[in-house]
Amino acid sequence: MADRYSFSLTTFSPSGKLVQIEYAFQAVNQGVTSLGIKASNGVVLATEKKSTSDLIDASSLSKISNITPDIGMVYSGMGPDFRVLVDKARKSSHTNYKRIYNEYPPTRILVQDVARTMQEATQSGGVRPYGVSLLVGGYDADNGFSLYQVDPSGTYFPWKATAIGKGSTSAKTFLEKRWTEDLELEDAIHIALLTLKESVEGEMNGNTVEIGVIGPASDHLLGFEGVKNIQGPRFRKLSPQEIDDRLDAI
Amino acid sequence: MDVILGLTTKDAVIVATSMAAVRGVSILKADDDKTRVVAPHTLVAYTGEAGDTVQFAEYVQANIQLHGMRNETELSPPAITSFVRSELAKSLRSRKPYQVNILIGGYDTATEKPYLCWVDYLASRAQVPYAAHGYAAYYTLSLLDRWHKKDISLEEGMKIMEMCVAELRTRLPIDFKGVQIKVIDRDGVRTV
Repeated sequence: MADRYSFSLTTFSPSGKLVQIEYAFQAVNQGVTSLGIKASNGVVLATEKKSTSDLIDASSLSKISNITPDIGMVYSGMGPDFRVLVDKARKSSHTNYKRIYNEYPPTRILVQDVARTMQEATQSGGVRPYGVSLLVGGYDADNGFSLYQVDPSGTYFPWKATAIGKGSTSAKTFLEKRWTEDLELEDAIHIALLTLKESVEGEMNGNTVEIGVIGPASDHLLGFEGVKNIQGPRFRKLSPQEIDDRLDAI
Repeated sequence: MDVILGLTTKDAVIVATSMAAVRGVSILKADDDKTRVVAPHTLVAYTGEAGDTVQFAEYVQANIQLHGMRNETELSPPAITSFVRSELAKSLRSRKPYQVNILIGGYDTATEKPYLCWVDYLASRAQVPYAAHGYAAYYTLSLLDRWHKKDISLEEGMKIMEMCVAELRTRLPIDFKGVQIKVIDRDGVRTV
């Protein structure tokens, strides 16, 4: 019985493709649109919180998660796969980095780690590729703000602004027209909301849209005071009220 | 009786290490380098059990250089120190711990400040403005307490170092064949 599953499900097709990974991309493209925009002083991650029913308690669902205090992640595709990757990234940022160097990993290094995990699922026996594409936004002292996309194949790209999921093609065209080198964080949030509006089908308000921001350090989010030389986290989620305020301004 | 000393100035760290390599009753060489450059802006000076010292220092050097190659980035001196300390802590509860005492001198390019850290074989760590390991500490720390100030110039730092070496020459019972001086600043590590 074990023999049947001891081969890799990702074997090459005659045309040189890995069909399982292609199908994983399909799973991503059926997922809800998510987007990320890099500004000169921050990164915005945004997604729609699509609920299948009005009875769902939307406030308890979090699609944008932080991995370290300065790095956040959003996805398009299969929610459970995202959860697993978030847990692995959070753990690995500690065991493979912070517990050795006593500092959190820079964005690129964390992205490489997640990408490796996703690639391993394309070259191992008995597993399937992860059905998510990720947008990872973060800050580190050496590279400033950065935005990366990670695909089910394990490829990762740095982006200035991008979208993944169902409405990604039209969203990317929209973003191409509006992104500039000297965008500020507030402008980027504004553009993110405008872009989402194009692809959101139902009502768009603070409860159906989720926005995560990697910006200036928020010392008030530390949870304690009085310690010198310690900065608060740069990742924070906008509250439904803050999102509604900005939607009113559109 | 190896001597390793370190002191920070405004923009640099000065590290002095004795040059005699002694085994038993013989001096094997008089130009022994008791340091390893582990990253472009970080130097590890070591003293302790023969063999363990070079083995551990080169192990650290290899790992830090590998990290630099893999990630195309340089680890900061505090991050390198955390790595060194955690390796010593792991070694401490093994069958035979590394008996190596270390001074890590570096220049943190992110904060643009010099960095000096005292780490011993028990994996204690202390970031300090000046430091020494072993018997040398008994004679030099008082001098450093008296003369060292924050933000001194490189010349003033070198004068203090000369004072320390003179004191050691006066008081240490063995000839340690002088010191080799290394300076770490924003341009990297250089021998003086």
